[in-house]
Amino acid sequence: MIAAWGLNLQYGVAGVLNFGYIANLALGAYCYGVLTLGPDSGNGGFQSYIIGLHLPPVLAILAATAAGCLFGGLVSLIGMKRLRPDYQAIVLLVVAIVALTIVEADGGLFGGNAGLALIPNPVGGTGPATANGWVYVAIVAAVCAAGYLVLRRFSDGPLGRSLRAVRDDDRAALAIGKNVVGLRILVQVVGGGFAALSGAMLAGFIGAWSPSAWQFAETLSLLTAVIVGGMASNPGAVAGALLVPVIFEQATQYVPGLSSRPELAGDVGWMATAVLTIMFIWSRPQGILPDRRPRYGPAARRRTRFSLAPLAPARAQDGAPLRATPAPVGMRRDPVPAAAGGQAGTASAVPPGAPLLTVSGLTVRFGGVHALDAVSLETAAGTVTGLIGPNGAGKSTFVNVVSGFLRPESGRVIFNGRDITRDPPHRRAQAGLVRTFQLSRQFGRLTAIENLLVARQRHPAESLAGVLAGLRYWRAAEEENVARARGLLAAFEMSDKADEPASNLSGGERRMLELMRALMADPTMLVLDEPLAGLSPRWSARFEEAVSRLREQGLSFLLIEHELGIIERLCESVVVMARGRVLSIGTMAELRTQREVQEAYVAG
Amino acid sequence: MSIFVAAVGFGIASGAVIALASLGFTLQFGLSNTLNIAYGGFITLATFLGYGLIQLGLGPWPVMAVIAVATGILSVLYYRLFIRSLIRRSVGLGPLAIATAAALIFIEYAVVAVAGTDVKSYGLTSGRTFRLWYITWSGTQVTIIVLALALMLAFQLLLRMTQLGRALRATAVNRTLARSCGIRAERVTSTAWLISGLLCGIAGVALAMTTQAFDFNIGSNFLILVIAAAVVGGIGEPYGAMAGGFVIGITTELSAAYWSPAYSDVIAFGLLIVILLIRPTGILGGQARRRNVVT
Repeated sequence: MIAAWGLNLQYGVAGVLNFGYIANLALGAYCYGVLTLGPDSGNGGFQSYIIGLHLPPVLAILAATAAGCLFGGLVSLIGMKRLRPDYQAIVLLVVAIVALTIVEADGGLFGGNAGLALIPNPVGGTGPATANGWVYVAIVAAVCAAGYLVLRRFSDGPLGRSLRAVRDDDRAALAIGKNVVGLRILVQVVGGGFAALSGAMLAGFIGAWSPSAWQFAETLSLLTAVIVGGMASNPGAVAGALLVPVIFEQATQYVPGLSSRPELAGDVGWMATAVLTIMFIWSRPQGILPDRRPRYGPAARRRTRFSLAPLAPARAQDGAPLRATPAPVGMRRDPVPAAAGGQAGTASAVPPGAPLLTVSGLTVRFGGVHALDAVSLETAAGTVTGLIGPNGAGKSTFVNVVSGFLRPESGRVIFNGRDITRDPPHRRAQAGLVRTFQLSRQFGRLTAIENLLVARQRHPAESLAGVLAGLRYWRAAEEENVARARGLLAAFEMSDKADEPASNLSGGERRMLELMRALMADPTMLVLDEPLAGLSPRWSARFEEAVSRLREQGLSFLLIEHELGIIERLCESVVVMARGRVLSIGTMAELRTQREVQEAYVAG
Repeated sequence: MSIFVAAVGFGIASGAVIALASLGFTLQFGLSNTLNIAYGGFITLATFLGYGLIQLGLGPWPVMAVIAVATGILSVLYYRLFIRSLIRRSVGLGPLAIATAAALIFIEYAVVAVAGTDVKSYGLTSGRTFRLWYITWSGTQVTIIVLALALMLAFQLLLRMTQLGRALRATAVNRTLARSCGIRAERVTSTAWLISGLLCGIAGVALAMTTQAFDFNIGSNFLILVIAAAVVGGIGEPYGAMAGGFVIGITTELSAAYWSPAYSDVIAFGLLIVILLIRPTGILGGQARRRNVVT
């Protein structure tokens, strides 16, 4: 069960598929064994142990768990170059196999192929713990309960939300300032610890451990438990952990002719587990007990513990400021509960009118083609700057470079007085430079309002202190967060969709959601990549109105659009790009008269 | 020096088999964007079915031919009935990988159920030995190396000079564009799986022929080497898979000779991990980048 929780955290919640998970389990088991065995424990002397520490079991369990965390962290460093899930899974599997091979070959420390035996169990004495049955069950139950409380700190609440966001769309998560790599390492560490803990408990219980107990098939059966029980849901993992062994047993009873070949039982059991996994992936990937997302909408009546869904329905606030009142110039963000339920936005260190984003000499090459050729431009704080140009001009490439998703070969990006050329995407978002995507991205398995809640910068729940201190520490911040999100939803007339999974929303709704999410991230400057594509005229008008109002409140924009009308109405300054170069900069009126601009659009 | 050359010789022999298998594996990735973990199961299947036929008295080479065809057909069926349906249901890359892993378990334990867990052997006599400089090869190994090289050459010719080859390359690079050019992407993909099944069958039998003994784990153990070869060479690139096969084969043998046979695989995997850290797309990694294997 403990192992299933850990795997659920890694895969169900955070989307990290770790085929090598069993290695952590084994590590825990080995650690426990190695640490608790004394030098005199060799049976008949043909197995002697180099480290014969003979530690008391409790210490050994803790040490094993710590080792598991460490191993998980180390392993994750290898796989963390933004690999796609199946590739990553295989990488982690290879690491586990390397570990396995080393262990099998090295007789000295870990007992080689034969494994360890006569491991003392926590209750006392050696051999299987059946004699002390009830005491052991009590211990296990206590460990499970403690484990669950720890688990919840990670899998539920705002941190769990962020992890799910990373799972659903890691690029979008980066764009709102989530440190994707850091979070993935975190779940590997925590999940690894859980695995090791369960391994240590198992070793103590069974009294022996050997390499044959930890092959890939075991990881798969844990995965089956997670998938069948319910992905990302802890009760689901429990259900799966209980069900899968049961199904294993049951399957073997019903195969005809089994009594004559009793050794078949295990094999058929494995085949049944495999079939079960495939069936669930096929027809019910969310499992038996799916992950239930907390509800915040006006209809929500129940308050779930970690979600703070308030009891009273919210009233739509008319004319509520779309973003919170900005703090005085120069002050970094601090949660200040304001009357409208907002908090201090990211102020620019730069006064209005002064250059906010300065880009110089950006060059990007794909093969022989210059996607960007020494592009330089500047946007002023508190203004809307337009970026136009025919398709293929390099506008989206430009956005990718400015937001950190693409490395330029040369050039610099200076934002808000700081050189951010080397910063990864999430740092830029945290600094106030937030982008949206041309094909709008959302966190499909989170509800609409959760998509907004997750964008909150530096949520106390996601800090170390938050994890340690728990709900009391970040309750206020979260309530404020929820109020602000509801206000935004009301302002954009989407309150009724608050509890819809984002994947159920229509195209136009998704675009607005993405805009709202970007606003929730306290931007100093918003880079919008063709935000009007797919929006009906009514929504486009609202959007334009929103941008206008936000500009009055001090937000700066870089707007990439094909619809020249909105560009003309909104933008103080417009940049024209074509074929990777900046053609011209000026007001729409000026640009209309320039021949190169006209030709660029016609010639493409 | 003599150890080195001898090890390289062994490495070429084992590398040839790995290269063939890896080529099949990478074809499946290239055409269907799937890391098919069940490929290991097909290897196991091939070796055991071959074993069955050998027990019936057939000679090893006819067995290879028969098994190749059988595995090819099974492979196409697997693609059509299993992989394609999962892809069409948009299950996602992670769940797809899990499903193929489950299929591997299924196949392996089905084999165990029928044939048991004890070790089997083709029991072939080694026949003539060939000596070249310090290299020693058995007759079987020489034939396999020659066969592998011939097949790889044939495949290269197929890719470069035939209509099918062009269609394969086009579909692998951009399926939608290929279809709008009139290429029947589904047919081409099924053919690719057929070819990869053939290669898998040949590799499986060859593997059993060159190993003393094997058990039901042979497929999954071999699979890791195959994946290592494919990744090192650049997943999705046929030339990469072929080169990678030899690289892994030679590296394994060299480390067995100079360090310890127990650790031979570890070195190959260490190489894999190093490659993943420095250049995750592999030596010839075009497709890996395109398929967003590494973003």
